[in-house]
Amino acid sequence: MFSQMIAVAVRVLRQLAHDRRFVVLSLAAPFVVIYMLDIFFDSVESPLFRPKEFIVPVAAFIVHFLTYLLCAIVLVRERTAHTLARMFVNGYRRGTIIGGYIIAYSLLATLQSLIVLLALQGFFELNYTLETMLSIYGVIWLLAVISISLGIFVSNFARNEGQVFPFIPLVILPSVFFSGLILPIDRLPDWASWLTYITPLYYATEAIHGFTGEGGNAALWVALPIYGVVVLTLAMFTLREQE
Amino acid sequence: MDNAIEIDGLRKRYGKLEALKGISLHVKRGEIFGLLGANGAGKTTLIKILVGASRYDEGSASVLGLNPMKQAQALRHQIGYMPQAPALYEDLSARENVRFFGRVHQIPNFEARVDEVLDFINLRQRENDSVYGFSGGMKQRVSLGCALVHQPNLLLLDEPTAGIDPKLREAFWAHFRELAAQGVTILVSTHQMDEVLHCDRAAVMREGVVLACDTPRGLLSRGSAHIKIWSDTQVLDETVGNYPERLPQLLQRYHLDPSVNRIEVNEDTLEDIVLSLINDKESAHV
Repeated sequence: MFSQMIAVAVRVLRQLAHDRRFVVLSLAAPFVVIYMLDIFFDSVESPLFRPKEFIVPVAAFIVHFLTYLLCAIVLVRERTAHTLARMFVNGYRRGTIIGGYIIAYSLLATLQSLIVLLALQGFFELNYTLETMLSIYGVIWLLAVISISLGIFVSNFARNEGQVFPFIPLVILPSVFFSGLILPIDRLPDWASWLTYITPLYYATEAIHGFTGEGGNAALWVALPIYGVVVLTLAMFTLREQE
Repeated sequence: MDNAIEIDGLRKRYGKLEALKGISLHVKRGEIFGLLGANGAGKTTLIKILVGASRYDEGSASVLGLNPMKQAQALRHQIGYMPQAPALYEDLSARENVRFFGRVHQIPNFEARVDEVLDFINLRQRENDSVYGFSGGMKQRVSLGCALVHQPNLLLLDEPTAGIDPKLREAFWAHFRELAAQGVTILVSTHQMDEVLHCDRAAVMREGVVLACDTPRGLLSRGSAHIKIWSDTQVLDETVGNYPERLPQLLQRYHLDPSVNRIEVNEDTLEDIVLSLINDKESAHV
């Protein structure tokens, strides 16, 4: 089972190695977006606005968004190219396929998270301790792994690339509006509070704010791996081996 | 068990569309069995059920003694499947594709076996080239290699020769015969009528129904011959079935008349016979 998982991961990594443009773009995109955020935040002339409060969770969101999107599309491409069905007929199990993808894309997410952190440091001069930086890195990486699982989960409901697109705002917009990234969650009506708890970015934002001393709750990083396991289980049960 | 595949009353629906309408068939071990029919006949649906990629609604199916719906995992290491679309990773090389699909099986001397397969599909020279740049025929060959790498007992090939040139088609059939001679059972679908002649037996399908199942000779015997006999005085034009036996009777009718100066026999081709089977089915619907 583990050797099959590694076989899938190696195959995905080989595909990534062949598609250098994809790799360069997916690594360069977060860097470019953070640079644009730097321009934007520099232009906000308000004494009440503190970029540091926002920028790290926003950077985490960028990794979340890109990883989720890329993974969902790549998995749907497997379905439309019939290679997913062929893998199953050849004997690969859904657990090994999902596990292989998680391993391969986690490596990409590791690089992405590192670039994001270096870009943050370069553009925003965060001046955090090494321990804080490592904690932030861990949170962003965990969020990226959750995003891979979410991408796999969502792709199970789409038969082609076009059908993935309606799912993008369904996952991303609640993250933007209800995770506490823009609006403090205590301003939301009580009945809408559940929307906060289903967004992984809420736990990431709270943990990041906890680590950086901007309020929040650092201990909530523990919710991220739990969230990941739940989404992975859902992805596993919704990936059908037979039509 | 003598039969590699046994199907009884198999039905499959996609919503309101009934893709298979109670099909019953059997394929003997070591046989090359053809599934013949136009697009939409149900060939791909049937193959997908047999490889455990699709579920069926009614009836029963047994592949190498296993139920493909409930025992798919046990079955998968014993079968090789070549889907209609090449289903390959185009950004990977031919070797990488064969290796990936073979890696899941416990194959002794794996790399040597991959070399053997690449030789067999005649792509050793291009083994490290990305499949993206390959022609349709080369992709089909890689796809066949992926289906063969683990030396399965049963090969299920969905239109393996679609869209490839006649020379390569011949090479494919030569490969299939070679495999069958080694005891591999092959179920192959095609919409090219002449390919049935390569099969030991074939089923003609239309709209989810098996119209006929026979040897190529048996299918050909369902046709008729159009016989035209010219003598000095008249032209006899008759259509008869089983012409090897009926022709002498016709000639006797002429007492081997020396004035008979030309005889033309035009036999129905397999295509004519299959089309006539399909048309009979159509007129039965009207």
